[in-house]
Amino acid sequence: MIGAYDFCGHYEWTFEWLRAQGGHELVKAYWDEAIRCDSQRHAAALIKAEGIEGMKKYWAHTLAEEAAGYFSTATDAVFRIDMHECPSKGFLIQNGLVQFGDYCDHCMGWIGPMMKDAGFVIDHEHTHRGQCWWEIRAASDESAPSAPGEMSGANDVRLRGDWPGPHDRYERATDPDDKTTDA
Amino acid sequence: MNSSGPLPYVDTKPVGAADFYFAINATFRFILARYGVEGLRRYWREIGSGYYAPVSERWRGGLGAVAEYWRAFFAAEPGAEVEVHASADEVRVEVKTCPAIKHLRAGGRDIVQCFCQHCFYVSDTIGESAGVAVRVSGGNGACVQRFVPRTPTLAPQDLAQIEEAR
Repeated sequence: MIGAYDFCGHYEWTFEWLRAQGGHELVKAYWDEAIRCDSQRHAAALIKAEGIEGMKKYWAHTLAEEAAGYFSTATDAVFRIDMHECPSKGFLIQNGLVQFGDYCDHCMGWIGPMMKDAGFVIDHEHTHRGQCWWEIRAASDESAPSAPGEMSGANDVRLRGDWPGPHDRYERATDPDDKTTDA
Repeated sequence: MNSSGPLPYVDTKPVGAADFYFAINATFRFILARYGVEGLRRYWREIGSGYYAPVSERWRGGLGAVAEYWRAFFAAEPGAEVEVHASADEVRVEVKTCPAIKHLRAGGRDIVQCFCQHCFYVSDTIGESAGVAVRVSGGNGACVQRFVPRTPTLAPQDLAQIEEAR
């Protein structure tokens, strides 16, 4: 049986299997069709109906279930997550599993199109070591992301001593290909 | 990777998150739609020989190692009710409540009809290089999986013995 306990391991293996079958576009289609529209359809429905309130409910449930080390905060205009210990990437690091080029892209792969459909855009940055931050606001809101510490105080992941380093960044994005990578 | 325990891949939490069964079911549906049932079976075989290769390595320790694996495996699956009986010539895994089917039903998900076949294709592939075969009967929420030595006289899996999931 393919189980839930080590899900992140075979999920990452599957990305590479799909890439070998049909290239990057097939992996993107998988994140969108299988994960956003099928597996996580409950998240899409909740967030489309309730906006930021729906984001609070969805991530409170899912990150507790996955035992993540994170902090989240929100205003009426923006929802923010500071991920200090990503359970998913952490599982891969702990078990030495690397098949696919950038596992972290899968989050933007399904969350990006989901937010686009619900009328939101995403500012996001990740380290590839299990730390990242997300700010999600309405597409019509042209505000820049918060400064370090402004929304999350001392829980802001950008204030960690090990935060500096090569990162991947997304600015007002909804597509996993909208990525810039530090040299 | 865990080099000593029965499970090759270990997490910091004792039991997996049940919502991941939604993604497993959705993955099967996506591959089935793109590549048909033979493509899905190829995915199952290749994940068995690729991702699960460290499990094959453990099973080379004999049927005792197979029993130990399944006890640890189902202890980490949320909502599983499973008995593992080991004898000298067989490990019998009696799945009283399949955690995946249970959670998919609770979540109101359309379950891929051939979902239960994955247990045969994945496990039989894991067993190939370890001299172990599996024969599955039942499904759709409860089944029996018999792990036996892989011998030339062993009858092939009858897929009709594996129920469609609903």
